[in-house]
Amino acid sequence: MKKGKQVYIQHNFYLWLAAAAVIHAVVLFAAAYFQIWNAGNHVTPKIVTVTLVSLPGSTGGAQEFSGRNDGTEATPVQPSVREVSFPEVKQAIKLPAAKELPLPPKVIAEKSPLSKSADRQLHINKALDSIKQLVDKKTTLLSQSSSASTLQSALAKLKQKVKLAGEPAGEGNGSVAGSRGGRSSAGKVSGRGGTSEGYKAEVASIIQKNWVFSKALLKKSEGMVVYVRINIFPDGTINQIIFDRRAVSEYLNNSVTKAIERSSPLPVLPKEDAFRDVWIGFVFSPEGIEQ
Amino acid sequence: MLDSKLGIIGLISDAGPVVLFVLSVLLSFSIGSWAIMAFKFTSLRKSLKESRMFLDFFFDVSGVEKLFTESEKYRYGSLPKVFRSGYIEYRALEESSETRQAKARIARAVKREANAENKNLIGLVPFLATVGNTAPFIGLFGTVWGIMTSFHNIGVTQSASLAAVAPGISEALIATAAGLAAAIPAVIGYNYFTQQISIIERDIEEFSPEFVAVLINELYRP
Repeated sequence: MKKGKQVYIQHNFYLWLAAAAVIHAVVLFAAAYFQIWNAGNHVTPKIVTVTLVSLPGSTGGAQEFSGRNDGTEATPVQPSVREVSFPEVKQAIKLPAAKELPLPPKVIAEKSPLSKSADRQLHINKALDSIKQLVDKKTTLLSQSSSASTLQSALAKLKQKVKLAGEPAGEGNGSVAGSRGGRSSAGKVSGRGGTSEGYKAEVASIIQKNWVFSKALLKKSEGMVVYVRINIFPDGTINQIIFDRRAVSEYLNNSVTKAIERSSPLPVLPKEDAFRDVWIGFVFSPEGIEQ
Repeated sequence: MLDSKLGIIGLISDAGPVVLFVLSVLLSFSIGSWAIMAFKFTSLRKSLKESRMFLDFFFDVSGVEKLFTESEKYRYGSLPKVFRSGYIEYRALEESSETRQAKARIARAVKREANAENKNLIGLVPFLATVGNTAPFIGLFGTVWGIMTSFHNIGVTQSASLAAVAPGISEALIATAAGLAAAIPAVIGYNYFTQQISIIERDIEEFSPEFVAVLINELYRP
């Protein structure tokens, strides 16, 4: 009798053991399925690209040149404003454009993926057109009038921000205008005070080639902009990398650093910059507006 | 591809042999502890319920024979079992008409059954304590091992970027997570069952002398 009961108890326990094993398997599969389902719902940015923008032409040799050009006529503030303004205008205009981009979620949910992407493309094209129009309009406005418009105040703010960010590396922003003036009088640097556009484009393409970045690791697209400026020696060696603005994602920040490090040494600087080091600024963003 | 790699299956499939071994040990621990918890929960609940019902009957009815007949209905209750063992000894004494040291013999029989019942009740429960105590450490061992491997790989690839470091560490951390997932329910179960078992043990301790007294009274009744 007792033996029979023991057997019954053992049998009962084995039943529970089997049930527990089955429940564990079910929970594991459910967790795996949930993760796959969750990953399927996760929207990843479609385009990942590097946007090249020149920062206010704070060349590395500013300090040494400023001393030498004391006697030269300092250029009015206007060129420097123009120089700062161009990228900043772009950046300032990006914000309203971004507001136009959001797609109506309900409509998209009902449409097929194909039509969804076509619609998205259409929206992007529209947004790009409006951005272009805005840029044209505002740049003409800027050149025509020097009155204190809202755009200018925004630009001034941005300029201030950039200056503040560049203070430690730039070692004295006050010298920037003077140095620029000196250089422009010497005829070495263009009116905008930066390195040639061709060289910048070349550097950008090299960095982009070396940029290993997986869009799938970005869970959100907000705050995914990295402002970096690099100091390049005449022989093309990258001397310094400064983050003016970091992205929310450390992964993006690290990938940018890696890309720049991998790109060193860069091509030798053009002739006009052959005797000094230069600063070039980049904006790394996964938005893909600038293609 | 990358998303699936980040999932649980990806983490497990990418894990090294030691981490996999640790995970399998923890999985078996978890299965075992859940099975024990379910088994003990049903058996202890039954035992408590039947013991209470038998006690109610015990205080209502005075006849030993009736009590024994009633106790036969409660096959899983601890108190009915203890009473039955005393009654069997009482019947043996009555049939042999050997009443010398009857009280001691009945008390011994009751005590023996009480001990056996205590052993039955506590059986398998220490496994829960073992899982609760060791599973986090086993998981930690898996994690440490995984991180060691991860750092070794960093050294080999000469890349310390987040993309290179993070997967290895997340693979390793799954062992600690599994250890905690196995340990936490086991500890909760252990505390609950020891408390329930102590209630039953106290009942047995308190009512065993009562049973002996009832049976002796019945034996010496003229």
